[in-house]
Amino acid sequence: MARLNSSKKRRRAAGAIPTDSFSDIAFLLIIYFLVATTLMKLHSIKADLPSGEKAEQAQSEKTPIVNLRSGQIFFNDKPVELEMLEERLAALDLAAQDPEKRVVMLETAKGTPYDLYFQALAAISGSGGVVALVEEN
Amino acid sequence: MGDIAFLLIIFFLVCSEVSKDASDIEVTLPVSERVEKMKAAAAARVAIDQGGQIYFEGSQVENPKDVEWGVRALLANTVVDDQRHVQFRCDAAVTKEIFEPVLKAIAEGGGIIEAVGNKKEP
Repeated sequence: MARLNSSKKRRRAAGAIPTDSFSDIAFLLIIYFLVATTLMKLHSIKADLPSGEKAEQAQSEKTPIVNLRSGQIFFNDKPVELEMLEERLAALDLAAQDPEKRVVMLETAKGTPYDLYFQALAAISGSGGVVALVEEN
Repeated sequence: MGDIAFLLIIFFLVCSEVSKDASDIEVTLPVSERVEKMKAAAAARVAIDQGGQIYFEGSQVENPKDVEWGVRALLANTVVDDQRHVQFRCDAAVTKEIFEPVLKAIAEGGGIIEAVGNKKEP
């Protein structure tokens, strides 16, 4: 009986999964994650641009328009500073409007840098507006 | 030791996102006070570097039309708006002639643009 028990134990020991290398595998995985991950969260502004027919429908004479030309911002054809643009857009209370009335047209002249465009986009999106890009004819 | 290692792996698995944004692309991001931390995971990543080269998912593409088709293909099976976010990184000095067609291409492809910028400290 005693012999039978000891042979059972020996068989179990022989069939056991070797766990000695688990820590090595674990450290390799850690190194992979350390190299291939980005813990830093990016900052961004969200802009859902209407496209195609939707964009054309969104444009009407009453729609507020922001122009970017010669490195300057114009709101409804009047030159404004960025702070002033934000104030004007805030006064429109776009976030509380119906979706079709939240549209702000954004027109840019040739050579406009992305930096200025980004500021305007941030101001419009931040005030709850939906940006409609104006197509050049 | 092995236990600690596995705890670290679980930590990285839970709170990390595998880097796909090709951070070797040279981009000087614009700065704004209005930027917020990106909440939704990006379905696609588009970048324009200092030289005006367009990248889609880290690979250089020829023109904005390629971006539109790429975004369209990636968003083909999306059901909710949260799956339509497209990360857009563009160099601050790039001009309208280059970036605007790309923005339009993303919009035409059905993406919601997440324009990446740096937070301006007040």
